[in-house]
Amino acid sequence: MNTSKFTKCLYYILPGLLIIFFAYTCFSSQEGVISRIKKATLKVDKTKQVDTAIPIPKNAVKANVQYQGGTFYTISRKSEMKRYKCSSCHNNKKVLIQNAADISHADIKVVHGDKDSPLACNTCHNQDNRDFLTTSKGSKIDFDHVYDMCGQCHFRQKKDWIGGAHGKRVTYWAGERVVENCTSCHDPHSPRFKKRWPATYSVPLN
Amino acid sequence: MDSEKKKKMNRRTFLKGAASTAIAGSAALTTGCKGKGLLGSSEAIALEFQEYFKKHYRLMTQTERDETIARLERIAKLKQDVDIDIDSTGPQENVLYGYAFNVTRCEGYMECVKACVKENNLDRASNTQYIRIFEMEHGQMSPDQGDGKYFHMVPKEGHFYMGVQCFQCNNPPCVKACPTKATWKEPDGLVVVDYDWCIGCRYCMAACPYWGRRFNWNQPQVPKEKITKKQHYLGNRRRVRGMMEKCTFCIQRSRKGKVTACVEACPTGARVFGNLLDPDSEIRFVLDNKKVYRLKEDLGTDPKFWYFID
Repeated sequence: MNTSKFTKCLYYILPGLLIIFFAYTCFSSQEGVISRIKKATLKVDKTKQVDTAIPIPKNAVKANVQYQGGTFYTISRKSEMKRYKCSSCHNNKKVLIQNAADISHADIKVVHGDKDSPLACNTCHNQDNRDFLTTSKGSKIDFDHVYDMCGQCHFRQKKDWIGGAHGKRVTYWAGERVVENCTSCHDPHSPRFKKRWPATYSVPLN
Repeated sequence: MDSEKKKKMNRRTFLKGAASTAIAGSAALTTGCKGKGLLGSSEAIALEFQEYFKKHYRLMTQTERDETIARLERIAKLKQDVDIDIDSTGPQENVLYGYAFNVTRCEGYMECVKACVKENNLDRASNTQYIRIFEMEHGQMSPDQGDGKYFHMVPKEGHFYMGVQCFQCNNPPCVKACPTKATWKEPDGLVVVDYDWCIGCRYCMAACPYWGRRFNWNQPQVPKEKITKKQHYLGNRRRVRGMMEKCTFCIQRSRKGKVTACVEACPTGARVFGNLLDPDSEIRFVLDNKKVYRLKEDLGTDPKFWYFID
Protein backbone atom coordinates (compact mmCIF):
# COMPACT_ATOMS: atom_id res chain seq x y z
CA MET A 1 0.00 0.00 0.00
CA ASN A 2 2.69 2.38 1.10
CA THR A 3 4.96 1.54 -1.80
CA SER A 4 2.21 2.03 -4.40
CA LYS A 5 1.47 5.46 -2.94
CA PHE A 6 5.16 6.25 -3.18
CA THR A 7 5.33 5.20 -6.83
CA LYS A 8 2.20 7.22 -7.55
CA CYS A 9 3.91 10.19 -6.00
CA LEU A 10 6.94 9.57 -8.18
CA TYR A 11 4.79 9.68 -11.30
CA TYR A 12 3.95 13.28 -10.47
CA ILE A 13 7.33 14.36 -9.17
CA LEU A 14 9.49 13.04 -11.99
CA PRO A 15 7.70 14.75 -14.90
CA GLY A 16 7.56 17.89 -12.81
CA LEU A 17 11.31 17.79 -12.28
CA LEU A 18 11.80 17.15 -15.98
CA ILE A 19 9.73 20.20 -16.89
CA ILE A 20 11.62 22.36 -14.39
CA PHE A 21 14.94 21.13 -15.74
CA PHE A 22 13.87 21.72 -19.33
CA ALA A 23 12.63 25.22 -18.56
CA TYR A 24 15.86 25.95 -16.73
CA THR A 25 18.03 24.87 -19.63
CA CYS A 26 15.86 26.85 -22.02
CA PHE A 27 16.04 30.13 -20.14
CA SER A 28 19.48 29.91 -18.62
CA SER A 29 21.21 29.27 -21.95
CA GLN A 30 23.49 32.09 -23.06
CA GLU A 31 21.87 34.70 -25.22
CA GLY A 32 22.61 34.72 -28.92
CA VAL A 33 24.82 37.18 -30.73
CA ILE A 34 21.93 38.85 -32.52
CA SER A 35 20.06 39.70 -29.34
CA ARG A 36 23.27 41.01 -27.76
CA ILE A 37 23.85 43.22 -30.77
CA LYS A 38 20.31 44.51 -30.70
CA LYS A 39 20.65 45.44 -27.04
CA ALA A 40 23.90 47.32 -27.62
CA THR A 41 22.55 50.70 -28.67
CA LEU A 42 24.51 52.94 -26.33
CA LYS A 43 27.23 55.06 -27.87
CA VAL A 44 30.74 53.82 -27.18
CA ASP A 45 33.65 56.16 -26.53
CA LYS A 46 35.76 55.23 -29.52
CA THR A 47 39.02 56.35 -27.97
CA LYS A 48 38.57 54.14 -24.92
CA GLN A 49 37.70 50.77 -26.44
CA VAL A 50 41.22 49.42 -25.91
CA ASP A 51 43.88 50.32 -23.37
CA THR A 52 46.54 51.24 -25.91
CA ALA A 53 46.65 54.74 -27.31
CA ILE A 54 45.92 54.75 -31.01
CA PRO A 55 47.72 57.28 -33.20
CA ILE A 56 46.28 59.03 -36.22
CA PRO A 57 48.58 58.66 -39.24
CA LYS A 58 50.41 61.78 -40.34
CA ASN A 59 48.99 61.68 -43.86
CA ALA A 60 45.38 61.56 -42.67
CA VAL A 61 43.02 64.46 -43.26
CA LYS A 62 39.64 65.12 -41.73
CA ALA A 63 36.88 64.16 -44.13
CA ASN A 64 34.28 66.80 -44.88
CA VAL A 65 31.41 64.38 -44.38
CA GLN A 66 30.30 62.63 -41.21
CA TYR A 67 29.67 58.96 -40.62
CA GLN A 68 27.15 57.56 -38.12
CA GLY A 69 29.68 58.12 -35.32
CA GLY A 70 30.69 61.68 -36.18
CA THR A 71 33.79 62.99 -37.90
CA PHE A 72 36.39 60.67 -39.39
CA TYR A 73 39.72 60.84 -41.18
CA THR A 74 40.85 59.65 -44.55
CA ILE A 75 44.23 59.21 -46.19
CA SER A 76 45.48 62.25 -48.02
CA ARG A 77 45.85 61.96 -51.79
CA LYS A 78 48.16 64.91 -52.22
CA SER A 79 50.86 63.26 -50.09
CA GLU A 80 50.89 60.32 -52.49
CA MET A 81 51.08 62.37 -55.66
CA LYS A 82 54.65 62.54 -56.84
CA ARG A 83 54.45 65.82 -58.76
CA TYR A 84 51.98 67.85 -56.80
CA LYS A 85 51.54 70.86 -57.11
CA CYS A 86 50.33 70.56 -60.66
CA SER A 87 50.55 74.31 -61.14
CA SER A 88 54.33 74.15 -60.88
CA CYS A 89 54.27 72.96 -64.52
CA HIS A 90 50.76 73.86 -65.60
CA ASN A 91 51.25 77.60 -65.70
CA ASN A 92 51.98 80.17 -68.35
CA LYS A 93 55.72 79.54 -68.35
CA LYS A 94 57.26 77.66 -71.21
CA VAL A 95 58.57 74.11 -70.78
CA LEU A 96 61.80 72.94 -72.36
CA ILE A 97 61.09 70.42 -75.08
CA GLN A 98 63.84 67.95 -73.95
CA ASN A 99 61.99 67.30 -70.73
CA ALA A 100 58.65 66.89 -72.39
CA ALA A 101 58.78 63.10 -72.64
CA ASP A 102 59.58 62.69 -68.97
CA ILE A 103 57.09 65.07 -67.59
CA SER A 104 54.14 64.57 -69.91
CA HIS A 105 51.30 62.33 -68.83
CA ALA A 106 51.60 60.00 -71.81
CA ASP A 107 51.79 56.97 -69.52
CA ILE A 108 48.26 57.52 -68.28
CA LYS A 109 45.69 55.36 -69.99
CA VAL A 110 42.12 56.13 -69.13
CA VAL A 111 40.00 53.00 -68.72
CA HIS A 112 37.17 54.66 -66.87
CA GLY A 113 33.60 55.22 -67.91
CA ASP A 114 31.77 53.83 -70.92
CA LYS A 115 33.76 51.70 -73.34
CA ASP A 116 32.51 53.77 -76.27
CA SER A 117 32.79 57.13 -74.59
CA PRO A 118 35.43 57.02 -71.82
CA LEU A 119 35.95 59.93 -69.50
CA ALA A 120 38.07 62.83 -70.68
CA CYS A 121 40.74 64.49 -68.52
CA ASN A 122 38.50 67.50 -68.05
CA THR A 123 35.66 65.43 -66.67
CA CYS A 124 37.53 65.24 -63.41
CA HIS A 125 40.42 67.71 -63.59
CA ASN A 126 39.71 71.38 -63.26
CA GLN A 127 40.81 73.19 -66.40
CA ASP A 128 41.21 76.60 -64.84
CA ASN A 129 43.06 75.61 -61.69
CA ARG A 130 45.11 72.47 -62.20
CA ASP A 131 45.66 71.97 -58.48
CA PHE A 132 42.05 70.96 -58.09
CA LEU A 133 39.51 68.52 -59.42
CA THR A 134 36.15 69.61 -60.68
CA THR A 135 32.56 68.63 -60.17
CA SER A 136 30.23 68.22 -63.12
CA LYS A 137 28.92 71.68 -62.26
CA GLY A 138 32.37 73.23 -62.36
CA SER A 139 33.16 73.82 -58.69
CA LYS A 140 36.60 72.94 -57.33
CA ILE A 141 37.35 69.81 -55.30
CA ASP A 142 40.54 69.30 -53.33
CA PHE A 143 42.54 66.18 -54.28
CA ASP A 144 42.40 65.00 -50.66
CA HIS A 145 38.62 64.97 -50.80
CA VAL A 146 38.50 62.97 -54.01
CA TYR A 147 35.57 60.92 -52.63
CA ASP A 148 33.34 63.91 -53.28
CA MET A 149 34.21 63.66 -56.93
CA CYS A 150 33.93 59.88 -57.29
CA GLY A 151 30.68 60.01 -55.36
CA GLN A 152 29.00 62.05 -58.09
CA CYS A 153 28.56 58.90 -60.17
CA HIS A 154 29.39 56.22 -57.60
CA PHE A 155 27.01 57.60 -55.01
CA ARG A 156 26.07 54.14 -53.74
CA GLN A 157 29.72 53.28 -53.11
CA LYS A 158 30.24 56.64 -51.43
CA LYS A 159 27.35 55.96 -49.07
CA ASP A 160 28.81 52.55 -48.25
CA TRP A 161 32.26 54.05 -47.85
CA ILE A 162 31.01 56.63 -45.35
CA GLY A 163 29.16 53.94 -43.42
CA GLY A 164 31.92 51.35 -43.58
CA ALA A 165 30.74 48.64 -45.98
CA HIS A 166 33.04 49.80 -48.80
CA GLY A 167 36.73 50.49 -48.36
CA LYS A 168 38.60 49.73 -45.19
CA ARG A 169 40.04 51.02 -41.96
CA VAL A 170 43.73 51.88 -41.78
CA THR A 171 45.46 49.45 -39.37
CA TYR A 172 43.20 50.06 -36.35
CA TRP A 173 39.59 49.11 -35.68
CA ALA A 174 39.58 51.15 -32.45
CA GLY A 175 40.31 54.79 -31.84
CA GLU A 176 39.52 57.63 -34.20
CA ARG A 177 38.15 56.29 -37.45
CA VAL A 178 40.73 56.51 -40.23
CA VAL A 179 39.74 54.98 -43.57
CA GLU A 180 41.49 54.55 -46.87
CA ASN A 181 40.57 57.05 -49.55
CA CYS A 182 39.10 55.98 -52.91
CA THR A 183 42.47 56.45 -54.58
CA SER A 184 44.34 54.37 -51.97
CA CYS A 185 43.02 51.21 -53.61
CA HIS A 186 41.70 52.32 -57.01
CA ASP A 187 43.81 53.85 -59.74
CA PRO A 188 41.56 56.78 -60.67
CA HIS A 189 42.45 56.45 -64.35
CA SER A 190 41.57 52.75 -64.54
CA PRO A 191 39.75 51.95 -61.34
CA ARG A 192 38.88 48.31 -61.96
CA PHE A 193 41.17 45.79 -60.22
CA LYS A 194 43.49 43.99 -62.59
CA LYS A 195 43.46 40.31 -63.36
CA ARG A 196 46.51 38.71 -61.80
CA TRP A 197 47.94 35.62 -60.15
CA PRO A 198 46.94 34.89 -56.57
CA ALA A 199 49.57 35.59 -53.90
CA THR A 200 49.71 31.98 -52.76
CA TYR A 201 47.86 28.69 -53.13
CA SER A 202 46.15 26.18 -50.87
CA VAL A 203 46.90 22.52 -50.54
CA PRO A 204 44.05 20.03 -50.12
CA LEU A 205 42.91 19.73 -46.52
CA ASN A 206 42.83 15.96 -46.49
CA MET B 1 72.73 -17.06 -6.37
CA ASP B 2 76.18 -16.39 -7.43
CA SER B 3 75.16 -15.67 -10.98
CA GLU B 4 72.46 -13.28 -9.77
CA LYS B 5 74.96 -11.36 -7.73
CA LYS B 6 77.21 -11.20 -10.71
CA LYS B 7 74.38 -9.89 -12.83
CA LYS B 8 73.52 -7.20 -10.28
CA MET B 9 77.06 -6.13 -10.13
CA ASN B 10 77.18 -6.03 -13.82
CA ARG B 11 74.18 -3.81 -14.11
CA ARG B 12 75.47 -1.47 -11.47
CA THR B 13 78.78 -1.13 -13.12
CA PHE B 14 77.08 -0.72 -16.43
CA LEU B 15 74.86 2.08 -15.13
CA LYS B 16 77.79 3.78 -13.48
CA GLY B 17 79.74 3.61 -16.65
CA ALA B 18 76.85 4.80 -18.72
CA ALA B 19 76.18 7.77 -16.45
CA SER B 20 79.77 8.87 -16.40
CA THR B 21 80.13 8.58 -20.17
CA ALA B 22 76.88 10.49 -20.65
CA ILE B 23 78.07 13.30 -18.40
CA ALA B 24 81.42 13.40 -20.07
CA GLY B 25 79.85 13.24 -23.49
CA SER B 26 77.34 16.01 -22.88
CA ALA B 27 80.01 18.16 -21.29
CA ALA B 28 82.24 17.63 -24.26
CA LEU B 29 79.37 18.41 -26.64
CA THR B 30 78.22 21.54 -24.87
CA THR B 31 81.66 22.93 -24.31
CA GLY B 32 82.45 22.11 -27.89
CA CYS B 33 79.66 24.40 -29.09
CA LYS B 34 80.80 27.91 -29.84
CA GLY B 35 79.19 30.70 -27.84
CA LYS B 36 76.79 28.57 -25.88
CA GLY B 37 78.32 26.99 -22.85
CA LEU B 38 77.04 24.28 -20.58
CA LEU B 39 75.09 26.87 -18.62
CA GLY B 40 73.02 28.08 -21.56
CA SER B 41 71.68 24.71 -22.53
CA SER B 42 71.05 23.62 -18.97
CA GLU B 43 69.13 26.83 -18.40
CA ALA B 44 66.87 26.03 -21.32
CA ILE B 45 66.33 22.52 -20.03
CA ALA B 46 65.53 23.82 -16.56
CA LEU B 47 63.06 26.34 -17.97
CA GLU B 48 61.37 23.74 -20.12
CA PHE B 49 61.14 21.47 -17.11
CA GLN B 50 59.44 24.23 -15.13
CA GLU B 51 57.03 24.78 -18.01
CA TYR B 52 55.59 21.31 -17.42
CA PHE B 53 54.25 22.32 -14.03
CA LYS B 54 52.29 25.42 -14.92
CA LYS B 55 48.55 25.66 -14.61
CA HIS B 56 45.81 26.10 -17.15
CA TYR B 57 45.92 29.64 -18.51
CA ARG B 58 42.55 30.58 -17.05
CA LEU B 59 43.56 29.42 -13.58
CA MET B 60 46.83 31.33 -13.50
CA THR B 61 47.17 34.58 -11.62
CA GLN B 62 48.71 37.51 -13.46
CA THR B 63 52.07 36.95 -11.76
CA GLU B 64 52.05 33.30 -12.83
CA ARG B 65 51.23 34.38 -16.35
CA ASP B 66 54.08 36.84 -16.34
CA GLU B 67 56.43 34.14 -15.06
CA THR B 68 55.54 31.66 -17.77
CA ILE B 69 55.78 34.39 -20.39
CA ALA B 70 59.24 35.31 -19.14
CA ARG B 71 60.25 31.64 -19.34
CA LEU B 72 58.87 31.25 -22.86
CA GLU B 73 60.67 34.38 -24.03
CA ARG B 74 63.91 33.16 -22.49
CA ILE B 75 63.53 29.71 -24.07
CA ALA B 76 62.97 31.30 -27.47
CA LYS B 77 66.10 33.40 -26.95
CA LEU B 78 68.18 30.40 -25.91
CA LYS B 79 66.91 27.87 -28.42
CA GLN B 80 66.17 29.94 -31.51
CA ASP B 81 68.00 33.17 -30.70
CA VAL B 82 64.98 35.38 -31.37
CA ASP B 83 63.73 38.20 -29.14
CA ILE B 84 60.01 37.62 -28.98
CA ASP B 85 57.53 39.68 -27.03
CA ILE B 86 54.66 37.60 -25.67
CA ASP B 87 51.69 39.53 -24.45
CA SER B 88 48.80 38.51 -22.24
CA THR B 89 46.36 41.38 -22.76
CA GLY B 90 42.94 40.35 -21.59
CA PRO B 91 39.56 41.04 -23.12
CA GLN B 92 38.21 44.58 -22.94
CA GLU B 93 34.87 45.55 -21.48
CA ASN B 94 32.06 46.06 -23.94
CA VAL B 95 33.91 44.60 -26.90
CA LEU B 96 32.63 41.72 -29.00
CA TYR B 97 34.55 41.04 -32.16
CA GLY B 98 32.65 40.52 -35.37
CA TYR B 99 33.63 40.01 -38.96
CA ALA B 100 31.95 40.49 -42.29
CA PHE B 101 33.07 39.23 -45.67
CA ASN B 102 31.93 40.89 -48.88
CA VAL B 103 31.34 38.11 -51.39
CA THR B 104 30.91 40.60 -54.21
CA ARG B 105 34.20 42.38 -53.62
CA CYS B 106 36.56 39.45 -53.08
CA GLU B 107 38.59 38.78 -56.22
CA GLY B 108 40.49 35.75 -54.96
CA TYR B 109 43.95 37.35 -54.81
CA MET B 110 44.72 35.42 -51.60
CA GLU B 111 46.76 38.22 -50.07
CA CYS B 112 44.87 37.55 -46.83
CA VAL B 113 46.12 33.96 -46.70
CA LYS B 114 49.71 35.07 -47.21
CA ALA B 115 49.44 37.74 -44.51
CA CYS B 116 47.79 35.29 -42.10
CA VAL B 117 50.55 32.71 -42.49
CA LYS B 118 53.16 35.35 -41.79
CA GLU B 119 51.38 36.98 -38.87
CA ASN B 120 50.42 33.80 -37.06
CA ASN B 121 53.73 31.93 -37.51
CA LEU B 122 52.03 29.06 -39.29
CA ASP B 123 53.90 25.95 -40.29
CA ARG B 124 55.62 26.55 -43.61
CA ALA B 125 56.55 22.89 -44.12
CA SER B 126 53.01 21.52 -44.30
CA ASN B 127 51.55 24.77 -45.70
CA THR B 128 49.11 25.25 -42.85
CA GLN B 129 46.60 28.02 -43.53
CA TYR B 130 43.77 29.27 -41.37
CA ILE B 131 41.93 30.91 -44.25
CA ARG B 132 40.65 29.12 -47.29
CA ILE B 133 39.30 30.91 -50.33
CA PHE B 134 36.86 28.98 -52.45
CA GLU B 135 36.25 29.78 -56.08
CA MET B 136 32.58 29.25 -56.74
CA GLU B 137 30.37 29.46 -59.77
CA HIS B 138 27.55 31.95 -59.76
CA GLY B 139 24.56 30.32 -58.18
CA GLN B 140 26.47 28.12 -55.76
CA MET B 141 25.92 28.76 -52.09
CA SER B 142 28.03 26.42 -50.01
CA PRO B 143 31.83 26.27 -50.15
CA ASP B 144 31.75 22.45 -50.34
CA GLN B 145 30.82 22.91 -54.00
CA GLY B 146 33.56 25.43 -54.64
CA ASP B 147 37.16 24.93 -55.68
CA GLY B 148 39.58 25.61 -52.83
CA LYS B 149 42.69 24.64 -54.76
CA TYR B 150 42.55 27.05 -57.68
CA PHE B 151 45.75 28.54 -59.02
CA HIS B 152 45.26 30.61 -62.13
CA MET B 153 44.70 34.23 -63.07
CA VAL B 154 41.96 35.69 -60.89
CA PRO B 155 39.19 36.78 -60.97
CA LYS B 156 37.81 34.20 -63.37
CA GLU B 157 34.70 35.07 -65.35
CA GLY B 158 31.45 33.69 -64.01
CA HIS B 159 32.92 32.98 -60.59
CA PHE B 160 32.93 34.56 -57.18
CA TYR B 161 35.18 33.98 -54.19
CA MET B 162 34.26 33.07 -50.66
CA GLY B 163 36.67 33.07 -47.73
CA VAL B 164 36.26 30.62 -44.88
CA GLN B 165 38.08 30.64 -41.57
CA CYS B 166 37.19 30.15 -37.92
CA PHE B 167 33.88 31.91 -37.36
CA GLN B 168 34.37 32.37 -33.60
CA CYS B 169 30.93 30.90 -32.91
CA ASN B 170 28.98 32.19 -29.97
CA ASN B 171 27.90 28.62 -29.27
CA PRO B 172 31.06 26.79 -30.28
CA PRO B 173 30.80 23.02 -30.73
CA CYS B 174 34.58 22.66 -30.51
CA VAL B 175 34.58 23.96 -26.95
CA LYS B 176 31.96 21.41 -25.93
CA ALA B 177 33.93 18.60 -27.53
CA CYS B 178 37.22 19.34 -25.78
CA PRO B 179 37.87 16.78 -23.02
CA THR B 180 40.55 18.85 -21.26
CA LYS B 181 38.99 22.32 -21.46
CA ALA B 182 41.99 23.44 -23.46
CA THR B 183 39.79 25.56 -25.69
CA TRP B 184 37.23 28.10 -24.60
CA LYS B 185 35.42 31.27 -25.57
CA GLU B 186 36.84 34.49 -24.21
CA PRO B 187 34.44 37.23 -23.01
CA ASP B 188 35.19 39.26 -26.16
CA GLY B 189 34.01 36.38 -28.31
CA LEU B 190 37.32 34.89 -29.42
CA VAL B 191 37.61 31.11 -29.25
CA VAL B 192 41.16 30.37 -28.15
CA VAL B 193 43.36 27.37 -27.34
CA ASP B 194 45.76 26.88 -24.45
CA TYR B 195 48.40 25.04 -26.44
CA ASP B 196 50.00 23.55 -23.33
CA TRP B 197 46.73 22.07 -22.19
CA CYS B 198 45.81 20.52 -25.54
CA ILE B 199 46.36 16.78 -25.74
CA GLY B 200 45.91 16.60 -29.49
CA CYS B 201 42.87 14.34 -29.53
CA ARG B 202 41.34 16.33 -32.42
CA TYR B 203 37.78 15.99 -31.10
CA CYS B 204 37.33 19.72 -31.70
CA MET B 205 38.45 19.30 -35.28
CA ALA B 206 35.76 16.68 -35.76
CA ALA B 207 33.16 18.80 -33.98
CA CYS B 208 33.72 21.94 -36.06
CA PRO B 209 31.27 22.09 -38.97
CA TYR B 210 33.34 24.77 -40.74
CA TRP B 211 36.76 23.12 -40.91
CA GLY B 212 38.10 25.95 -38.78
CA ARG B 213 40.77 24.07 -36.84
CA ARG B 214 44.21 22.89 -37.82
CA PHE B 215 46.33 20.15 -36.32
CA ASN B 216 50.10 20.08 -36.12
CA TRP B 217 51.14 16.67 -37.35
CA ASN B 218 54.77 17.72 -37.12
CA GLN B 219 56.79 20.37 -35.37
CA PRO B 220 55.84 23.64 -37.11
CA GLN B 221 58.72 25.02 -39.14
CA VAL B 222 59.09 28.78 -39.32
CA PRO B 223 62.33 30.30 -40.62
CA LYS B 224 63.99 32.31 -37.86
CA GLU B 225 63.95 35.60 -39.75
CA LYS B 226 60.27 35.22 -40.62
CA ILE B 227 58.99 34.77 -37.07
CA THR B 228 56.48 37.45 -36.05
CA LYS B 229 57.91 38.70 -32.78
CA LYS B 230 54.82 40.40 -31.40
CA GLN B 231 53.01 37.40 -29.97
CA HIS B 232 50.18 36.56 -27.65
CA TYR B 233 50.04 33.66 -25.24
CA LEU B 234 46.75 32.49 -26.76
CA GLY B 235 47.64 33.45 -30.29
CA ASN B 236 50.69 33.13 -32.48
CA ARG B 237 53.29 31.93 -30.00
CA ARG B 238 55.32 28.82 -30.74
CA ARG B 239 53.33 25.63 -31.10
CA VAL B 240 54.76 22.13 -30.93
CA ARG B 241 53.85 18.89 -32.56
CA GLY B 242 50.52 17.31 -31.70
CA MET B 243 48.42 20.28 -30.74
CA MET B 244 45.49 22.07 -32.22
CA GLU B 245 45.57 25.63 -33.42
CA LYS B 246 43.09 27.97 -35.00
CA CYS B 247 42.33 31.47 -36.17
CA THR B 248 41.92 33.80 -33.20
CA PHE B 249 41.09 36.96 -35.20
CA CYS B 250 44.79 37.78 -34.61
CA ILE B 251 44.30 38.13 -30.86
CA GLN B 252 47.74 39.76 -30.58
CA ARG B 253 46.56 42.51 -32.91
CA SER B 254 42.85 42.87 -32.20
CA ARG B 255 43.29 43.29 -28.46
CA LYS B 256 45.68 46.14 -29.16
CA GLY B 257 43.08 47.86 -31.31
CA LYS B 258 44.45 46.74 -34.66
CA VAL B 259 42.49 45.06 -37.40
CA THR B 260 43.41 41.46 -38.16
CA ALA B 261 46.23 40.71 -40.60
CA CYS B 262 43.81 39.47 -43.26
CA VAL B 263 41.80 42.70 -43.12
CA GLU B 264 44.91 44.80 -43.36
CA ALA B 265 46.23 42.79 -46.31
CA CYS B 266 43.01 42.65 -48.31
CA PRO B 267 43.58 44.70 -51.47
CA THR B 268 39.89 44.99 -52.32
CA GLY B 269 38.41 45.88 -48.94
CA ALA B 270 36.21 42.80 -48.90
CA ARG B 271 36.83 42.21 -45.22
CA VAL B 272 35.24 44.23 -42.42
CA PHE B 273 36.25 43.81 -38.80
CA GLY B 274 35.06 45.61 -35.71
CA ASN B 275 33.24 45.76 -32.41
CA LEU B 276 29.71 44.40 -32.59
CA LEU B 277 28.69 46.26 -29.43
CA ASP B 278 29.61 49.66 -30.84
CA PRO B 279 26.53 50.91 -32.71
CA ASP B 280 28.68 53.19 -34.88
CA SER B 281 31.16 50.56 -36.03
CA GLU B 282 31.57 49.45 -39.63
CA ILE B 283 30.47 45.93 -38.86
CA ARG B 284 27.22 47.23 -37.40
CA PHE B 285 26.67 49.35 -40.51
CA VAL B 286 27.05 46.22 -42.62
CA LEU B 287 24.63 44.26 -40.47
CA ASP B 288 22.09 47.08 -40.51
CA ASN B 289 22.27 48.05 -44.18
CA LYS B 290 23.41 45.05 -46.19
CA LYS B 291 22.01 41.69 -47.11
CA VAL B 292 23.89 39.38 -44.81
CA TYR B 293 23.89 35.68 -44.17
CA ARG B 294 25.85 33.23 -42.10
CA LEU B 295 27.18 29.88 -43.14
CA LYS B 296 25.24 26.83 -41.88
CA GLU B 297 23.18 29.00 -39.57
CA ASP B 298 20.71 26.16 -39.08
CA LEU B 299 23.27 24.31 -36.95
CA GLY B 300 22.76 26.80 -34.15
CA THR B 301 26.44 27.55 -33.72
CA ASP B 302 25.70 31.29 -33.89
CA PRO B 303 28.88 32.38 -35.71
CA LYS B 304 30.15 35.95 -35.48
CA PHE B 305 31.12 35.96 -39.15
CA TRP B 306 28.71 37.28 -41.78
CA TYR B 307 28.81 37.19 -45.54
CA PHE B 308 27.29 40.11 -47.39
CA ILE B 309 26.67 41.27 -50.89
CA ASP B 310 26.80 44.79 -52.26
